[in-house]
Amino acid sequence: MRITCPHCGARDVQEFTYLGDANPQRPEGMATTEAAMHDYVYQRDNPAGRHRELWYHSAGCHAWLVVTRDTRTHAIETVETARARAQGDAA
Amino acid sequence: MADAATIAWTPRGSWAGILASGEFGTAGQPGVTIEARDGLGIASLIAGDGRDEALAQALQGHIGLGLPLTPCIVSSARHSLVWAGPDQWHLIAPDRNGFDELLRDLAPLAAISDQSDGRAALRLSGPKVRDTLAKGCMLDLHPSAFPVGTAALTSIAYMGVHLWRIADDPASGDAVFEIMVARSMAGSFWSWLSASAAEFGCKVTATGRG
Amino acid sequence: MSAKQPFRRGDGGLIDRASPVSFRFDGRSYQGYAGDTLAAALLANGVRLVGRSFKYHRPRGILSAGPEEPNALVELRSGARREPNTRATVAELYDGLEAQSQNRWPSLDFDILSINSLLAPALTAGFYYKTFMWPAAFWEKLYEPLIRRAAGLGRAAMEEDPDHYEKAFAFCDVLVIGGGPAGISAALAAGRSGARVILCDEDFRPGGRLLADKREIDARAGSEWVADALAELASLPDVRIMTRTTVLGVYDHGIYGAVERVSDHLPLPPVHQPRQRAWRITAKRAVLAAGAIERPVVFAGNDTPGVMLGGAVRTYLNRYAVLPGREAVVFTTGDDGWATARDLTAAGANVAAIVDPRPQVDAALVALGKAIGARVFAGSAVSRASGGKALKQVTIRDASGRETSLACDLLAVSNGWNPTLHLTSHQNTRPVWDEAIQAFVPGTMPAGLSAAGSAAGHFGLAEALVDGARLGSEAAADCGFAAKPLAATAKTDPDAVSISPVWRVKGGKGKAFVDFQNDVTDADVELAAREGFRPVEHLKRYTTLGMATDQGKTSNISGLAIMAEQTGKTIPETGTTIFRPPYTPVAIGALAGHHRGPDFRPMRLAPTHQWSKDLGAVFVETGLWLRGQYYPKPGEDHWLTTVNREVLAVRNGVGICDVSTLGKIDIQGNDAAEFLERVYINGWKALPVGKARYGLMLREDGFVMDDGTTSRLAETHFLMTTTTANAAKVMQHLEYCHQVLWPTLDVRMVSVSEQWAQVAVAGPKAREVLRGVVDAQHDLSNEACPYLAARNITVGGGIPARLFRISFSGELAYELAVPADHGDAMMRALMAAGAPYGITPYGTEALGVMRIEKGHVAGNELNGQTTARDLGLGRMMSAKKDFIGRVMAGREALIETERPALVGFKPVEIGQRLRAGAHFIGLGKPAAMEHDEGYMTSVAYSPVLKHWIGLGLLKNGPKRIGERVRAVDPVRNGDIVLEICNPVFVDPEGARLHG
Repeated sequence: MRITCPHCGARDVQEFTYLGDANPQRPEGMATTEAAMHDYVYQRDNPAGRHRELWYHSAGCHAWLVVTRDTRTHAIETVETARARAQGDAA
Repeated sequence: MADAATIAWTPRGSWAGILASGEFGTAGQPGVTIEARDGLGIASLIAGDGRDEALAQALQGHIGLGLPLTPCIVSSARHSLVWAGPDQWHLIAPDRNGFDELLRDLAPLAAISDQSDGRAALRLSGPKVRDTLAKGCMLDLHPSAFPVGTAALTSIAYMGVHLWRIADDPASGDAVFEIMVARSMAGSFWSWLSASAAEFGCKVTATGRG
Repeated sequence: MSAKQPFRRGDGGLIDRASPVSFRFDGRSYQGYAGDTLAAALLANGVRLVGRSFKYHRPRGILSAGPEEPNALVELRSGARREPNTRATVAELYDGLEAQSQNRWPSLDFDILSINSLLAPALTAGFYYKTFMWPAAFWEKLYEPLIRRAAGLGRAAMEEDPDHYEKAFAFCDVLVIGGGPAGISAALAAGRSGARVILCDEDFRPGGRLLADKREIDARAGSEWVADALAELASLPDVRIMTRTTVLGVYDHGIYGAVERVSDHLPLPPVHQPRQRAWRITAKRAVLAAGAIERPVVFAGNDTPGVMLGGAVRTYLNRYAVLPGREAVVFTTGDDGWATARDLTAAGANVAAIVDPRPQVDAALVALGKAIGARVFAGSAVSRASGGKALKQVTIRDASGRETSLACDLLAVSNGWNPTLHLTSHQNTRPVWDEAIQAFVPGTMPAGLSAAGSAAGHFGLAEALVDGARLGSEAAADCGFAAKPLAATAKTDPDAVSISPVWRVKGGKGKAFVDFQNDVTDADVELAAREGFRPVEHLKRYTTLGMATDQGKTSNISGLAIMAEQTGKTIPETGTTIFRPPYTPVAIGALAGHHRGPDFRPMRLAPTHQWSKDLGAVFVETGLWLRGQYYPKPGEDHWLTTVNREVLAVRNGVGICDVSTLGKIDIQGNDAAEFLERVYINGWKALPVGKARYGLMLREDGFVMDDGTTSRLAETHFLMTTTTANAAKVMQHLEYCHQVLWPTLDVRMVSVSEQWAQVAVAGPKAREVLRGVVDAQHDLSNEACPYLAARNITVGGGIPARLFRISFSGELAYELAVPADHGDAMMRALMAAGAPYGITPYGTEALGVMRIEKGHVAGNELNGQTTARDLGLGRMMSAKKDFIGRVMAGREALIETERPALVGFKPVEIGQRLRAGAHFIGLGKPAAMEHDEGYMTSVAYSPVLKHWIGLGLLKNGPKRIGERVRAVDPVRNGDIVLEICNPVFVDPEGARLHG
C-alpha cells in the first residue's frame, strides 16, 4: 500500500505504523465512568468496507493520520492529520 | 588524585572508526562520491502554536532565511533550514562557531534542542548517486519528482533518514544529496551504503576529525 | 563442434556459434553455445532424460521452453551455491555450468524408488491423509523421515550462501511486463510520448515469441522488428529495459515486485555485483504483456521424455537451432500445431504424422501436411506415448477406435494457449472464461493495470501489436503525456489461432498425467470427484494439483476440465483457481537482500562504544542496541566472577556504566507540566526547576507501559528518560497523546536520545571521581547537589554537561551527560579521575544485579501484564488528577488483593540457585496449574549477601513476608523452598543513596 501523508506526500506503507479505529473519543476528566472508558479502550467495530483508522508516520514526519480506507479493497479515500481533525472537533 | 586539567577531552565525531578517505569498489572513474559532513551545528526548532510568524521573522533577521512550510531546504552561504516535520525544522550550520549564541537568541520563539552530536551526515554525488540510493531509499529521486531543494524524512534500510537535494555539482552537473542518520546507526548505515555503492566505484572523503 | 552436438542444426538460431560453452550434467561433459538455455544445450546433445518425478520417480524430459516447466528441474551449481529445482528451460548456459538431475538414487538412469510406480495404486490422491493417520506416535519418528527421504525435489545447499543480494526501488509512469511484441509496442508508444517507462522481461533476450516463431511484420523478419524497436527504446532517455527480470507480484496502489537475476547467467557474480536484486517498482500505470502458456493434453504416457509442447519445439528449432527429435509426430487440436510441422520439416526433421482431432481441417493445412510428406490423421487423437526413458512410439486412435502405432522420438503437442494472467488475479480477482478461445482471460483488473496481446487472449500477432500500442498510449495519457499518433497498423503474416481443445484422451494404457510436477493423474482427479472433493479448492488440496513450485501453470486447466467432465458441468461452472504471488519461485536471499547476518537489522552503537571495546567488553543486544554486558579482566573465566567483581566495586568504591541508550525526550512548552501530569501517574506541576523525579506511565488499559526519571530543566522545559527498549514506543505514545487526544496543549517534543552520551557514576566514591572531571565552579556537595538534583554544568573546561543525582544501584550515584562527540572522552576522563579509587567499568549484568538487590523493577517486571499496584508502586497514583490508565487501573480485577504482587525471595537452603520463570506453589501442594500462585520475574546472585536472590509476583505477596513457598521450574527440573522477603535486599533504609 501507499499512503499519501498530507505533509510528506505518497509513501510506502512500510513507513507507517497502524493503530486502529479512529472513531472512539477518549472520555476525559475525573468524572469518567469505568463503563465509558471500557468502551473507549475495547469496543471496536470491524467493518468490511469503509473504515476510519489511525496511522502514525513513524519513519517520516511523526504525524498521526486519520486514513479513510476500504478494508476490502485497500482503496484510500482520504488522509487527514489527526491534529487538524481533533482541533476541528474541538472548535 | 587525577586533575581535570590533565585529562584530554578529544571529541570523537559520528563517523570516527567508520569512514576513511579513499576509494573502494569497482575501479575507474568513481560512480559515487561521498563526503563526510562532520562538525556541523544542527538544532531542531519547533514552533509554538501561532508563533511560526515570529520565528520566521527572527530567522530572516538572524540568518536571512525564511521558514520552508513544505518538505524543502533553503540555504544561505552559511546556514540552512530544512523542514523536519509539521512546525519543525532543522537549523544547520557548517560548524559550531556562534551556534550556541544563535540558538540562545531564537530560544524564546521556539522549542530548540541541540542535535549537533546526534546525527551523522554525508554529502553524496556522482553519476550513479541515484542508482546507489535506489537500493534502499523508497522515494522517487528522479529530477522531475525530487528537484533541487526538496527534503524528505524517510527510511533507508530500516533506518530513519533525513534527506535533501542541494544544488547540482557545478563541475560535473551531477545531482548532490545530503543525508543525516542517527549517530548510533552510522555504522549500519555505512554497511548498507558501502555495499550499495561498491558496484559503481566510490570515492570517500572523510574529514579526519576525531 | 556440431559433431559433439548431434542435434544442433547447421545454421540459424539466435545463439552465438563463435562462443562455444562447456558444461556438465550429472558429471558428463557437453558443449553448447552462448545464448542457449541449459535445456536447449541438453537437447542439442541428445539428452532427453533430465529428471525423475516427485512421487513415482518416473523418467521425465523437457516439456516446455519457458518458466512454466514442470519436469526439467535440476540442481544448478555445487557446494554452497547449489540451487535446487532450477528450471533448465530458463537457466542460461555459461562456461563451466554444472547441473545435477534430482530426485533419483543411485542414478538418473537407474532409480530405485521408481518402484513407487508399481505401488501406484496405494499412492493415489489423499494417500498421505489416509495412510499415515495412526498411530499418532509413528508420525514424527517413522512416517515423516521416510516420506521426507522418498519425496521432495532437489537438495538445498547446507552452507551459507556466499553471494550478496540487494533490494532496489524504482518508480515509473508506465511499467510494461513482458518483452514480446505487445510489450515492446506498449513501451514504444508510452516511451515516445515522453513517459517514464520500465520494460521488464524475464527472458535474457527480449522479443518473446518473435524469437521462437518465423513471423513477419511489414514483410520483415520478426526478429529484425524486435532489434529495431529495442534500439529505439534504448535511445529514449526515460525508458529502462530490464532483462532477466521477472515481475512476481502485484500489490496495492501500483506496487509491483520483481526479481532481477543479475548474475545467475555467470559462473560467479562479478566482484561487487549481487547475484540477484529484488525490485519494488511503483508504477502509475502498468501493461501486462506476459504472453501465454501452451497447454498439454492428458493421455497415457504423456510424461514420456520426448513429448513436448509444440510451441517449445518451435522455440528449440528456431531460436536455439536445436532439433528436439528427428522422427516427429505432431498432435494438435488447432491450426497452431501445423506450423510446428512446417518448421520441423524445414529444420530437417521427418514429420511422420500430424494428428488433429478436428474432423474437418482447413484444406490449406491438409495440403501443407501432404507437401511435407506427413500422414494426416484428421478426427484422430494420440492415445498413448511409450518408450520409458525416451519416446519410441505413439498410438493414434481415430473416431472409430482404430489404432495406428508409429515409431518416433518426438511428439509435439499443441492444445491452445492460456493467457499468462497470473498477475491480474493477485488482487483477489478471478479470471473469466472466454468461450471463443477456450481459455480463461483476465477478469476485473487491479487498478492501473491493463492486459495486452496474448496475455489478454488476443493471440494474433497484429492484434498484439495494436493492443500494445493502444494500451501503452492510454497508460501514458493517464499519466499526463500526450500520445503521439500511432503509426499505421503493421501487416503481419496470417495467424493460426483456430482451436478446439481436447483436454484428455481416454483409454490409453498407462498413467495419464495432469500435473507433471506433483504426479497428479486423471485418475486422481476422478477419485477426488467420486470422494466429493469437487469444488476446485478441494480438488487442489486433495490431489495437490497445482500446488507444486510451478503453481499448475501447465496443469490447472486440464484438472478443471476433467473435473467438469466428471460432474457434468462446464469449465467456468467448475471454477478457476486464483493465483498468488510469486509468479515463479524466488530465492529467499533475494527477499532478504542486504539484511542478513549482522545487517539483519540496524545495530545501534552508543557514543562510548569504542571505549567499551577497548576494554574488552562482552556485548549484549538489547533491542537494536549493543551494550556492554560485562568487562572481563584477564584470568576471569566465568561471567559471574566478573559480574561479582563489578558489583562489589560499585558497592565498596566506584564504578561507571554507559546509560546513553536510555530514551531521552525534550519536552517544552507552556503546558509541558500539564502534559506530564496526564501521561504519568504521579504529579509534576510541583516539581521544582533543577529536580528529577521518578515517573511511571500506564497504558490506557491500566497496565504499566514504561518508567524513568524526568527532570525539570526550566519552568517550561522537561527532559524525560525512558527505558532503552521502549524509547520509540514512548515517543509514539506521547505524540499520540498530543496530536490525537490533546492537540490544544502547548507542548513540543523531540527525541534527543542521540545527542547525549550518558554515564552512571555510582558508588561511595562517586563524588570524588566527579570532582575530577566537573569544572571547579560547580559545587557537588550533598547540600548543593542533593539526591534528585538535576543541574546544567560544564566539564573538562567548559564542555556543556548535565548532571543528575539519580541512582539505580542504590549507591550514591550520578548520571553525567555530555554531547555525544565528547562521550568517549568522558569515559576516559572518568577512568583517569577514578584511578585512585579503583574505578571499575560495569555492564548491564552488574546493573541488573544491583537493581534486583534494591528491588527496582525493570523490563522483566514491566512486562505488559503488571499494574503499578502489582509492582508496589500503587501509592504513586495521584487521586487528584486524570491520567492515562487511571480509570482502567481501578477495575475490580486489577485491585483485587489476591492479585500477584512484587516481593523478594531467597532460598531457605542458602546455597541454592534461583531461576527466573519458576512458578510459586504452596508447600505440600501438587505442582499443578490450580495451585499456581505467581512466578519469579528476575533473579541474581548477590555478591553482597553471598546467595541468590529473586524478585517475583506472588499472590497476596506483601502480606506473606517471612512465609515460605516453593519455586517449581519444570523446564529445568527445579523445585526448591524459598523464603518470601522484602524486595529491597540491600540498604533498605536508603542511607547510601543520600550519602
